Amino acid sequence: MNDNTIKTIQIEIFDPPMCCPTGLCGPDIDPALLDINEAILKIKKEFDGKVSIERYLLSQQGQKFMQQPEVMKRLQIHGVEILPLTLVDGKVVKEKEYPSYEEFKSIIGE
Amino acid sequence: MQNTRYIFFSGKGGVGKTTMACATAIHYANEEKKTLIITTDPASNLADVFETEIGHKITPLQKNLWGMEIDPDKATEEYRERILAPMRAVMPENVMSVLEEQFNSPCTTEIASFDRFVDFMVAEKEGRGEKYDVVIFDTAPTGHTVRLLELPVDWSKHIEESAKGSGNTCIGPVASIQENKAKYDEATRLLGDAEKTIFIFVLQPEETPVYETKRSLKELTEIGVKNIELIINGILPKEVCKHPFFQSRYEMQQKYIKIIESDFPVKIRKMFQRDGEIKGVERLFNIEKDLFNNSDEQTYIIGNGELSNIDFNNFIPDSIDNIIQPNGKTKSIFFTGKGGVGKTVISVITAYKLASEGFKTLLLTTDPASHIGQVLEREVTDQINSVEGIDNLWSVIIDQEEATEEYKQRILEESKSKYSQDMLVAIKEELESPCTEEMAAFDKFMTYVDSDDYDFVVFDTAPTGHTLRLLELPFDYSDQVSLMVTTNQQSADAKAVTQKRFDRIIARMEDPKQSVFSFVVYPESTPVIEAYRAMLDLKDAGIQTQFLVANQVLQPEYCTNEFFIRRRKMQEKYLREIKERFQLPVMIMPLLESEIKGITMIQKATDLLFNNKVKSLI
Repeated sequence: MNDNTIKTIQIEIFDPPMCCPTGLCGPDIDPALLDINEAILKIKKEFDGKVSIERYLLSQQGQKFMQQPEVMKRLQIHGVEILPLTLVDGKVVKEKEYPSYEEFKSIIGE
Repeated sequence: MQNTRYIFFSGKGGVGKTTMACATAIHYANEEKKTLIITTDPASNLADVFETEIGHKITPLQKNLWGMEIDPDKATEEYRERILAPMRAVMPENVMSVLEEQFNSPCTTEIASFDRFVDFMVAEKEGRGEKYDVVIFDTAPTGHTVRLLELPVDWSKHIEESAKGSGNTCIGPVASIQENKAKYDEATRLLGDAEKTIFIFVLQPEETPVYETKRSLKELTEIGVKNIELIINGILPKEVCKHPFFQSRYEMQQKYIKIIESDFPVKIRKMFQRDGEIKGVERLFNIEKDLFNNSDEQTYIIGNGELSNIDFNNFIPDSIDNIIQPNGKTKSIFFTGKGGVGKTVISVITAYKLASEGFKTLLLTTDPASHIGQVLEREVTDQINSVEGIDNLWSVIIDQEEATEEYKQRILEESKSKYSQDMLVAIKEELESPCTEEMAAFDKFMTYVDSDDYDFVVFDTAPTGHTLRLLELPFDYSDQVSLMVTTNQQSADAKAVTQKRFDRIIARMEDPKQSVFSFVVYPESTPVIEAYRAMLDLKDAGIQTQFLVANQVLQPEYCTNEFFIRRRKMQEKYLREIKERFQLPVMIMPLLESEIKGITMIQKATDLLFNNKVKSLI
């Protein structure tokens, strides 16, 4: 009976090193990056207010990586190949690949 | 309250920009104003003028005067270290090495240099650093300069729009650059403040510079610059031009001086050519005197001592026939060198020669300030067209804006069927990034390097610093390709195709039989030093330079008075130096009595350059 205190689901994506997160300004278009952007846009729209999705770039937000022990632990063991990492409320739910739109939905529990 | 004034020197490389900037700097320093002179030109020669080592730090030059050369590589390194240093302690080695590699991206270099440049403009407002009364920027050649200065406008707009959209920009998420927004806005505001900022264009009285200056002026006005002045440099004094040959050049110059005076409603100062080089502070004062007294009684004699002998050395040009042999496939010939040394003319002549020998030849420019069309007296567009009146010759220009538009359209078209409306909006917004422009022009450039349709492709490349970046791009981007995220099959396929294309192009550029690199230089101090440095840079990138062209060499028979004897002697000194330093074949392009324009003149110039008719003329 505490509908008013529904917590926002916090999704964090730790990106692999890349030129830019859009996949549009590299030497060629990277479809994987366009797909993840598309998925995020859809999710944000459908679950407005219930879900927050943040992406972190190693080269720009190294701090975020270092503050997250789950991420650091995996990086130390597997190296950079483990990225991208997707965390939901601080727990790793996917490694090496971005979640698809469907996977995001099942993570959110719809 | 401090009221720093900013003075920007602009104009094509080799027109005496640095000399004028330095003369201006010593002028203010002598008036007891604290003065800082900064160069953002990757091919700077500030150190040569002051005859002292300067480098990538603020260096005292004399009382009240400091100098600094912004080295794009150093700036990148500093930028990189600022970000990476805190991570070194905790990140595993393989993460660090991937990150470091990633900072070799061309985007990073652009951002880092630009950042340093803006720093000087906002230092006062932010109340940090040394305070100066006058800050002088000896900026990079026209095309590059304008791009650099356009960045503040583009960027702040870009940041604003991204904040509404997906929150990503090419330089990282908005959050991390939002703090810099104020900085870019302040820089833009200062550029448009007539009280604080002056733009001084240095140009020679010739057709191309007039045309280019007009274009640059228009671009600057569009980004809000209000205070503009001109310096016409390299004017031949009337009394030394009695010989009919120089009389003709004198008249050509006077014609363009009149055009400049009537076409540009701004303050104009005039400067005579000197009979020797401007090196050392003493000679700078000679320039300073003319620049600030601005009387008609200018001097042009700085050479001193008796002329010990007036015998000239005759330089026999080397043949490059074996270097430009056709190889059965497409052979690329690249002309590089500082802007304004005549790369375009030499490219046109070379392409003309090859075409007239029956080889299918494409003449191409990557120089944003190109004037191939003016030399040919034909329209040259971003579409390949055959050159009317010259068999076997085609020409094309890589127009940065057009290329960008084309690139954007292509990506949007490809994305249309695959993604949602929201995503398309995001893609569109993202394509407004300055990186897109760079990428698009480069993409075009590669298409031509990769072509098999011609016997020869002659490239009239962009000014050296820019060229090097462009030429190094395949190498940089090829590193980037290996970093592409391959998380699905489609992506892996895209990566494989791209990688293959880059490998092929690199192999082609590194093969001396398929790609010929050459430098065009004036036989003068700065161009020679600069070309030598650039040659070493190319060598580092795996590319061997194969020959040189010394341009605008005075023909001894016309040097009949002291002024030109001294100048010819100076040229001889540097012709010898070119031979010794480069140890490569050197071609000689003599100075002509008028500009090279139109097919008759091109034909004459081809005879002079390739058929060694120099001697028979003498």
